[in-house]
Amino acid sequence: MPPAAATKLGYTPPDGGWGWAVVFGAFISIGFSYAFPKSLTIYFKEIQEYFSVSYSEIAWLSSVMLASMYAGGPVSSVLVNRYGSRPVVMVGGVMVSAGMVLASFGRTIMHLYLCVGLIGGFGLAFNLQPALTIIGTYFQVKRPLANGLAMTGSPVVLFTLAPLNQFLCDTFGWRGSFLILGSIVLNCCVAGALMRPVNKNVRPKPTTEPPECNGEATEKAATADTSAQSANLLTEANQDEIKSQGCVHKFIDLSLFKHRGFLIYLIGNIVMFFGFFAPVVFLAPYAKHQGIDEYSAAFLLSIFALVDMFIRPATGLLGNTKWIRPRIQYFFSFAVLYNGVCHLIFPLLPGYVGMVVYAVFFGLAFGMLSALLFEVLMDLVGPQRFSSAVGLVTIIECGPVLLGPPLSGALVDIFKDYKYMYYACGVFMLVPGIYFFIMHYYNYKKLDEERRHSVVVEIRTCEEAVQLKMSQDGKTGHETDG
Amino acid sequence: MNLLWAVSALLLSCWRANASTAPNIITEPSEVSNQTSAVLSCNLTESSLPIKGSHWIHNGKVIEKSKSGDTTPYTILRLDKITHNSGGKYECVFLTDPEVKQTIEVKTLPHVAAYKHSEHGNEKDIGAMVCVSHGYPLPTDWTWFKEEDGAQTPIINGTTDKYEIKSTPNKTTLTINDLSIENDIGDYICSGTNELGTTSDKIHLRVRSRLAALWPFLGIVAEVIILVTIIFIYEKRRKPDEITDGSAPLKSNSTENNKDKNVRQRNSN
Repeated sequence: MPPAAATKLGYTPPDGGWGWAVVFGAFISIGFSYAFPKSLTIYFKEIQEYFSVSYSEIAWLSSVMLASMYAGGPVSSVLVNRYGSRPVVMVGGVMVSAGMVLASFGRTIMHLYLCVGLIGGFGLAFNLQPALTIIGTYFQVKRPLANGLAMTGSPVVLFTLAPLNQFLCDTFGWRGSFLILGSIVLNCCVAGALMRPVNKNVRPKPTTEPPECNGEATEKAATADTSAQSANLLTEANQDEIKSQGCVHKFIDLSLFKHRGFLIYLIGNIVMFFGFFAPVVFLAPYAKHQGIDEYSAAFLLSIFALVDMFIRPATGLLGNTKWIRPRIQYFFSFAVLYNGVCHLIFPLLPGYVGMVVYAVFFGLAFGMLSALLFEVLMDLVGPQRFSSAVGLVTIIECGPVLLGPPLSGALVDIFKDYKYMYYACGVFMLVPGIYFFIMHYYNYKKLDEERRHSVVVEIRTCEEAVQLKMSQDGKTGHETDG
Repeated sequence: MNLLWAVSALLLSCWRANASTAPNIITEPSEVSNQTSAVLSCNLTESSLPIKGSHWIHNGKVIEKSKSGDTTPYTILRLDKITHNSGGKYECVFLTDPEVKQTIEVKTLPHVAAYKHSEHGNEKDIGAMVCVSHGYPLPTDWTWFKEEDGAQTPIINGTTDKYEIKSTPNKTTLTINDLSIENDIGDYICSGTNELGTTSDKIHLRVRSRLAALWPFLGIVAEVIILVTIIFIYEKRRKPDEITDGSAPLKSNSTENNKDKNVRQRNSN
């Protein structure tokens, strides 16, 4: 519910201006966070030969990096709550850079796990959370668009890094490439520098809600002084509230587990993530299994990435429209459902043309889902608690994200056919989709009820405040008289 | 007595009949060596067993096109162009009960190919070069040469720590330790020898300087530092302006705003 969340902020987000520079910074941070582990797979063959290890041992590198990135979520949230986004992103950038530079001097595979996997992964976690959080502080009205644009970073950076990594690998070998990648990733510090903390002293613009209380008060109040006095009475009470909230917000906000919307999101996401990444991972192998040559199989992935790249900002724009914004949770549920349907239909599509059609529709579905993934969380918990929320969500999602592809791989090995894996992934996305629809319908009803209730209470409090002022006027009148 | 003679004569003739009617395949030629094309033929003699058909097997795999249902005891296989791929063991199989077959070996020169014709190594690091061979028979000997000023100097395993050669019949690896830019850049030749002859292939080794990657690294780090500095300076310049802009409106409208904010904040909790 955007209106309720906005009033909790205590200021009006700029919704533009420097915000677009922040979106660009977030674009780079998010892009590196998601695309970097995936693009490192290009070096695996050379590193595997150099250290004489098996493919599964080298694949652990990606897993360790991804695991650290998700596990570092809560740590990142705590730091963002304490220090704000900018220092955390810059430290994160330096960490990944240091990890890569150290790795370029590595003598054993364990050295690589530690430097690239652990340090690099944590550094990327320090990039991801703050980037998402700061968008919430800068945007309110245009937030879905800003989120959609920022999440586009992932496919764009992947698209750029993949051929670049190939070129670096051929020219400099893996050691030199890791050194150069260490410097490229340092650009996250530039992104962090752009993430200026939002100016909270700006006068709020006229809001859409009718200032009913204000109007009544000015009608009945005699002077501006008395209204200031009553305002001061109310301000003191509020300041205590803010202080107590501040103590909690210094660390992680565990009261989120009592938040209805957050719980709905969390439970749905845990199931959904089992089937989220596996279809992407297995697209090319499935194509090759069907007898399609390597280049056409790789081309499928390119189509997927290209569609993904364009659909993310488009989804952001769509989510921003006045028809969808108030009910954006339904849009998200639709995206999840659509993903599930895509996977279920895929094994039935014949030939290479069928695969291309699937790649296009899956790209659409994946992009829609990714663009909305964090926007709906922000919508549910509000920008102030978002940082803690995203930290908790990522560490709990760690499990399904890491288990998903190996489980799917096991399904493929057992049945010797990819279609059962796609059916399973389809179910893993269909069920949460339906669940989200039902739960959010219930949630919206409850929120509407609460809002109606709070409006009634507001009117009552206004009347009390007016009465208080009137009694004070009476007192001052007595004082001036006597 | 006569009965005994008759029985023994019968037994002897039976035995001799068995021996003389044991299926025998005459192959023509018995072996193919270093030819560009050949016609392999198998002639099944001295067999009274019915023949249901015949086919040929190459290196354990049945050649689909050679399958025939002819009941003739004669089958041929044409090899129009013999390359290293078509070399190997050919078996002609007659579908009798039980099956009878005979092997013809087709031998070619070894086909030696390098994994990569251009290899990279880092200075003071390890460089590895690999050559593989296909064909039949596989090389029994592998030798490595370094090309220097047009002449080929052989590299002998075990004499120095610098060179290490590991060879199996189908693959050979030359590992050079402690690469140096002056000495180790150049062409290396791997050659494989089998009973028919020798073939070789060339690999060019490039040694990258340790500092090669350092310049782009320093360049990008410099770019990052410059950008961050520019952004911070821009911000410091703008900050005093923003503070004066913010404070002026606060003085006039603060009361109204505070009331709005406070009332709403209280009620929404």
